[in-house]
Amino acid sequence: MTTSSLPHARPPFYRDTRVIAIILQIIFLVAVILAGWFLYNNMTTRLAAANTATGGALTWTFLNQTAGFGISEGPAFRPDESYGRAFLVGIANTLRVGVVGVILATILGLFAGIARVSNNWLLSRLAMVYVEIFRSTPLLVQLLFWYVGVIATLPNIQDAAELGNFGYLTNRGMYLTWIYPTETGRVWNWWLLAGVVIGVLLSWLRRKQLERDGAPGSGVFVGVVAFLLVAVIGYFVTASSAAMPSATAYELRRGDRGTLFEDINGNGAFEPGVDRTLAYVPITLFDGDGQVLVTGMTDGDGTFRFIDLPAEAVRLEWDTPTPLAVSEPQRQGFNFRGGLSMTPEFAALLLALVVYTGAFIAEIVRAGINAVNKGQWEASRALGLSTGDTLRMVVLPQALRVIIPPLTSQYLNLVKNSSLAIAVGYPDMFNVSRTIVNQTGAEVQGIILVMAVYLSFSLFTSLFMNWYNKRVALVER
Amino acid sequence: MATDIRPTNWVNTNHPAPAQKPPASEVGVVGWLRTNLFSGVGNTILTLATLVALYFVVNGLVQWTLNAFWQPIWDNRKLFAVGPFPAAQMWQPAVVLLMVSVLFGLSAGRWGSIMRNLGIGLAALLLFLAIIPIGMQAQQVMAASLGLLLLGYVVGLRFAFASKWLSLAWFLSLPLTFVLLMGGVNLPGLGIRWQFAPMVDTNLWGGLMVTMLLAVVGIALSFPIGVLLALGRRSKLPVVKYFCIGYIELIRGVPLITLLFMGMTMLPLFLPSNWGNPSQLVRAMTAITMFSAAYLAENVRGGLQAIPKGQYEAADALGLSGFNSLRFIILPQALTKVIPAIVGQFIGLFKDTSLVSLVGLLELVAVGKAVIQQPEWLGVPGGVAKEVYVFVAIVFFIFSYGMSFASRRLESKLGFGKR
Repeated sequence: MTTSSLPHARPPFYRDTRVIAIILQIIFLVAVILAGWFLYNNMTTRLAAANTATGGALTWTFLNQTAGFGISEGPAFRPDESYGRAFLVGIANTLRVGVVGVILATILGLFAGIARVSNNWLLSRLAMVYVEIFRSTPLLVQLLFWYVGVIATLPNIQDAAELGNFGYLTNRGMYLTWIYPTETGRVWNWWLLAGVVIGVLLSWLRRKQLERDGAPGSGVFVGVVAFLLVAVIGYFVTASSAAMPSATAYELRRGDRGTLFEDINGNGAFEPGVDRTLAYVPITLFDGDGQVLVTGMTDGDGTFRFIDLPAEAVRLEWDTPTPLAVSEPQRQGFNFRGGLSMTPEFAALLLALVVYTGAFIAEIVRAGINAVNKGQWEASRALGLSTGDTLRMVVLPQALRVIIPPLTSQYLNLVKNSSLAIAVGYPDMFNVSRTIVNQTGAEVQGIILVMAVYLSFSLFTSLFMNWYNKRVALVER
Repeated sequence: MATDIRPTNWVNTNHPAPAQKPPASEVGVVGWLRTNLFSGVGNTILTLATLVALYFVVNGLVQWTLNAFWQPIWDNRKLFAVGPFPAAQMWQPAVVLLMVSVLFGLSAGRWGSIMRNLGIGLAALLLFLAIIPIGMQAQQVMAASLGLLLLGYVVGLRFAFASKWLSLAWFLSLPLTFVLLMGGVNLPGLGIRWQFAPMVDTNLWGGLMVTMLLAVVGIALSFPIGVLLALGRRSKLPVVKYFCIGYIELIRGVPLITLLFMGMTMLPLFLPSNWGNPSQLVRAMTAITMFSAAYLAENVRGGLQAIPKGQYEAADALGLSGFNSLRFIILPQALTKVIPAIVGQFIGLFKDTSLVSLVGLLELVAVGKAVIQQPEWLGVPGGVAKEVYVFVAIVFFIFSYGMSFASRRLESKLGFGKR
């Protein structure tokens, strides 16, 4: 008997979808590789023609060469250091403006977003005008406006605009009164660390207890209180017990300036890199007759300088500082000392990024709040929850699920947009990479480096997002 | 006698009391003010504080506007519009404007929806420019454009010509714009050289014209690439899929400015040595197109994901091939859904084109920078930077906000975002 074997017959290979899929992919791969090879080949040919030394190959040795240019702000960088370190300083500057920008933009966006959904008609309209104006104009124009149109037209240092006791605005930068950890603050840091550990531990225990009892709440409150308690106790203990290093010494030059430092190697002279400088320590300068000339405070780098002293200082006494000190900017000739100083470039970039991103965040916050159904409020009210509990346990968790994903992408945008620093000359990663490229001609390598760093930022963000989405995803049937 | 028996099922036969009017404090202006501004102590304080802040802001703005020095902008209006384009050949951009106006009018009449909203905006702008004394000839061009726009609208409304002809006209208008602005065709690689006017180098193009051109080209050229990338990302073939994911995520992970610098310096490297170097405008367009394609792909993917599976199955059941089911069933639905997103992307791209000023193209922001540095304004106290950048921002705002407004009106009409 011959039974029909037709249903089991395999189709000819050229009609088998599995085979076709493989063939198509091979064709695609070959095309991509050919195109890539074509581009790469052209590039090496042209590079070889332009630069006979390397024969067109991409080399990375330039990263170890001496940079020969300085970087005006961020981590200290001297021209005799390498291109590689210059690039790292650029990354640090990108992160600096990025982190501060993200924090401030979140605060601004949160306020504007809440104002946008406020019952108060005037306030919500005002927030809307802010959002629409800053969302509908290019960031670059805003940045140039702040930099050239606003900050550059501020008064110069001699007649700086005062912000009460909080600082000064000048066209050379902003100088703000700021709180800094001092020399003894280093001891206090251990207390803070202990506070964090104790706080986390207690909040974890509290959460376990709450879960066991079936009570609502997360235990965060207990943890925060514990941390604050440890921090405050630690502050007073440190303030009363901490002492200055026994090997404290000073170097006084020209009768008005110098450095306060811990003499690590005991030779009595200040050696940068070996001896440790002492930050924000109260000091008093005396002249030859033992008269007090001036009292003040060292800077963050342990240096001090006073101008227009009536006589030359010959002796210095120091005091033990409290763990935190308020540093006010002091006008000294053509500059300010102390406080928190921001260059005009940094200030303009930060202002532009914060105001621009804040407008986008406001819209995200608004959408998040509106996304929570009115019935949710009413239902939790019916269950007898207070307004605070309703917000904390019902509305916010749902709003955050809507808010967080676009919010992180706005954070990422802020960091990417900080590359506009090149328009005002703030030395961020991209700007530094352009300087390196212009000096070394390592065009391709420079682009690869910058892209790799930005991509790793994106990667970390999307890893976080995946983790978060998994955590807050709705559990469905 | 028990005659005085009341019926047990008593009914109130009195007319009900006439409904009272709501108290005057709850309706009308007073009521509106009470609910929206003074509905409580906190709200009242908030209102008053906002009013005080508003007074200072508005007062400051008005004072500044009145005292600002607007001369540089008025004197350089041609520069802001088209950059250093040769004055004798201004008729070429004028023809482009006329052409675009006709097409806008026809599309507004024929297609309606967003084209109609955008057409209204364009008409208002043309009317404004025709009225203010920017120069006799320019005003005549604006008025003629307005006339053509309205004519096109009427024609589009009255005659039901095939929609594909209009699409074709839009499609052809882009290369035609380039030919018109250049004054001819010059492709040395293909040995073509033809001109009807002295050739205008693309480095002489500038101002709003280049800003617009970059944004339009960015969206138009990235459209086919973006659709292919979106389809590729949903492909079942892993090699294709991961290539597309890699491209999209790579581009979306880096700032546009890195791509622009890459296009400026590396694009010539990637071409064979005998092809010469493409002009700066072409390099910028390539970078912007590469950038825009990745974002467009994600938008289109959103549309594709919104198509129910049943549509694919129904197309299969009808015996359509993979290509035909995409062409007739899936893409038409997916692309209609993502029109608002694409308009949003166009607005973003329009703003992002300001970055090309950093790589040496004379678009709007770069023209602004050049105007600030003109020697005539050196003596102006405080400089003219504020005025110039405010003006540039206003131009961007008018177009961006206008487009987003048109798109939002359409969305609320179609009921998008209300689900």
